[in-house]
Amino acid sequence: MTATKTFHSWGKLRPATAKLLAPAWIPNDLPGTGPFLAYGLGRSYGDSCLLDGGTMIETRFLDRIQHFDPQTGILRAESGITLAAILRFCVPKGWFLPTTPGTSQITLGGAIANDVHGKNHHSAGCFGNHVRMLDLLRSDGSRHTLRPGDPMLAATIGGLGLTGLITSAEIQLVPIRSAHLDVELTRFCGLDEFMEISASSSETWEHTVAWIDCVASGNSLGRGIFIRGKWSDRGDLSTHRTARLTAPFEMPGFTLNRFTVQAFNTLYYRRFLGKTKTLHQHYAPFFYPLDGVNEWNRIYGKPGFYQYQCVTPTAAGTEPMKQILTKIAASGQASFLAVLKTFGDVPSPGMLSFPQPGITLALDFPQRDPATRDLFLQLDEIVRACHGRLYPAKDARMNARDFSQTYPQLESFKSFLDTKFSSDFWKRMTSATTPS
Amino acid sequence: MSTRPYHAAIFGATSAICIETLRAMAREKTTKLLLIGRHPGRLESVANDLRSRGAECTTLVADFLDPKTNWLQILTDNAQSDPWDLLLIAHGSLPDQDTTLRDPESLAAELHINFTSPAVIAAACAQILVKQNHGTLAVFGSVAGDRGRGSNFIYGSAKAGIDTFLAGMRHQFSQHRKIKIVTLKPGMTDTPMTSHLPKGPLFSSAEAVGTQSWRAIQSAPPVAYLPGWWKFIMTLIRILPSSLLHRTKL
Ligand SMILES: Cc1cc2nc3c(=O)[nH]c(=O)nc-3n(C[C@H](O)[C@H](O)[C@H](O)COP(=O)(O)OP(=O)(O)OC[C@H]3O[C@@H](n4cnc5c(N)ncnc54)[C@H](O)[C@@H]3O)c2cc1C
Ligand SMILES: NC(=O)c1ccc[n+]([C@@H]2O[C@H](COP(=O)([O-])OP(=O)(O)OC[C@H]3O[C@@H](n4cnc5c(N)ncnc54)[C@H](OP(=O)(O)O)[C@@H]3O)[C@@H](O)[C@H]2O)c1
Repeated sequence: MTATKTFHSWGKLRPATAKLLAPAWIPNDLPGTGPFLAYGLGRSYGDSCLLDGGTMIETRFLDRIQHFDPQTGILRAESGITLAAILRFCVPKGWFLPTTPGTSQITLGGAIANDVHGKNHHSAGCFGNHVRMLDLLRSDGSRHTLRPGDPMLAATIGGLGLTGLITSAEIQLVPIRSAHLDVELTRFCGLDEFMEISASSSETWEHTVAWIDCVASGNSLGRGIFIRGKWSDRGDLSTHRTARLTAPFEMPGFTLNRFTVQAFNTLYYRRFLGKTKTLHQHYAPFFYPLDGVNEWNRIYGKPGFYQYQCVTPTAAGTEPMKQILTKIAASGQASFLAVLKTFGDVPSPGMLSFPQPGITLALDFPQRDPATRDLFLQLDEIVRACHGRLYPAKDARMNARDFSQTYPQLESFKSFLDTKFSSDFWKRMTSATTPS
Repeated sequence: MSTRPYHAAIFGATSAICIETLRAMAREKTTKLLLIGRHPGRLESVANDLRSRGAECTTLVADFLDPKTNWLQILTDNAQSDPWDLLLIAHGSLPDQDTTLRDPESLAAELHINFTSPAVIAAACAQILVKQNHGTLAVFGSVAGDRGRGSNFIYGSAKAGIDTFLAGMRHQFSQHRKIKIVTLKPGMTDTPMTSHLPKGPLFSSAEAVGTQSWRAIQSAPPVAYLPGWWKFIMTLIRILPSSLLHRTKL
């Protein structure tokens, strides 16, 4: 029985219809002719997790822990286990993920295939830096156990699912004494102040990130809140709860506009008085503020939304990021939740890993094409000029030339492709005509 | 109070709902589990998952369609040294209704795995519990058994059969106060069994249903709807006049 299914990515821009494989057990081979693509929980924003007309392999039933060593914190599990499930397992035992993105609703395989980064990138590097081993199933039925040093591992980490199906992986967890963090919030105004706080925090604060208002202009341009945290010694080892709220339906387009966004951002910015505030915060609100509401992506309504995430390299200074922020503010198109962070210089393990030393900005935009794409083209120019790059996990529209020129290991990567794997993103990046 | 681990045998231990039931159990109790199924490799991966969660597990490969089978002796022998607290029957199969109706052999096989097999196992398990005068027998039925509906009555009728079978056994053993017989009735649950179906708002996660199954096993009502609101929905569907039901595609 082959069912077809409509798949969405998080941005809900263009759904894909594909044949469905939903193995309950690690398969020995992949039935059919392909092309194939693994699908975790579809938390990628653009089209890197979609393959219209192909065969998509849902991994979420592959969720078993294979081995855990409570002495060393080494965990081996099937690739469809979610980070949320890993945490519910390991936090009570005093262990945590070595690094985590801003949602726990992603799979282990998805975390590896996008080589995701988190608030501790400046000290921990990417998720892939903590992968000790993984098992890969290729479309020819061959199985590969990959360890650091193996070039096929470097291709698979951050490899966008294009080297085959990751069936299981082993990661190194980190010890914690409490499930809580000591957190400090500091208001800042402008990128220079952000850079100062960032530089002075990187040695002593394990986790840093900033929220920046991309709607405010004039005197408030670049205002934001710098958030830094470190694991606390106080508090219990309690886990998070599952979300109770679900966004009820697709919101009508008018609920998100310049005025509501501005009001939200002003409220967020003014949520405490004075310059700084300290908190004792559980890991769930600290790392996963949005996980409390299921399917919050529905607030963007039917048209869907984009996320634009770029990195501007350290060598370029702050000027390009300033230009980007100014352009975005002037456009009036941004939505809430712009996230700014400095990447450290821990080398990324994957050939196509996104992080490189510099400043990264991630920000949602309701889809209002052609205006939204036009703005992105202008932002691309700034990113291109400073030799920065865009994050494929978030992308639905980057230019194929930019992709090939800003990912210098792309050619070496290609020799590790599984020729029967593909994605809508990959087709976009490799087709002869390149829509911008 | 004894510190003896909670002792349970599980038929169909590789089912997704069942794995979540056992995970919830292992979170709360020291457990000693016998996992029974037909695929040694799958049983071993479930056992490893549960072992990492603190459960002591052994696995047993058995053919649920063969009444002359190994499990009965093993269960009986085990009960002598360490009485069973729980015997759980979870296997089931959701066939494609149309193709199965046209193929008598697979029709018989589906009825067999969904009714005959769990009924035979349940009857034997009940005897073991009576002999130890202790323990709970829990079996997965389904809301699909509450009313025959055009879209899935092969599966539904078998589940209805097991529901009636268990109700009868509850009656038969009503004098045995220390023995509980529970019918677990999940509603639509997102598991490999339903992976090909489009997911509407009535679907629950295997984790939610499994956790609630474990609650139900502990409180041991005769019948537990999982989640509880399915009782309300099924009451409505049961009282719906046929003239109305027949106009739907349910
Ligand atoms: C609210 C929110 C916050 C986020 N914050 C961050 C952040 O801070 N940092 C960051 O880096 N990202 C962030 N992301 C993006 C997200 O972490 C990544 O897109 C992640 O890879 C999604 O994982 P997934 O399991 O949903 O995989 P999917 O999105 O379904 O797939 C992602 C890619 O992985 C591949 N893949 C999945 N499973 C396998 C497998 N078993 N074998 C081979 N390939 C596989 C897919 O083919 C696809 O190419 C965020 C996303 C959201 C929604
Ligand atoms: N999912 C739902 O929506 C839903 C709703 C109501 C009731 N239920 C019932 O809940 C129980 C668990 O369901 P689930 O969704 O968790 O199912 P699942 O993950 O699909 O697992 C099905 C289980 O049945 C076993 N099985 C199937 N055919 C078999 C056979 N011929 N011989 C031996 N074992 C066989 C499987 O063993 P293998 O691993 O060896 O294949 C597996 O353990 C079932 O009784 C099901 O009918 C499910």
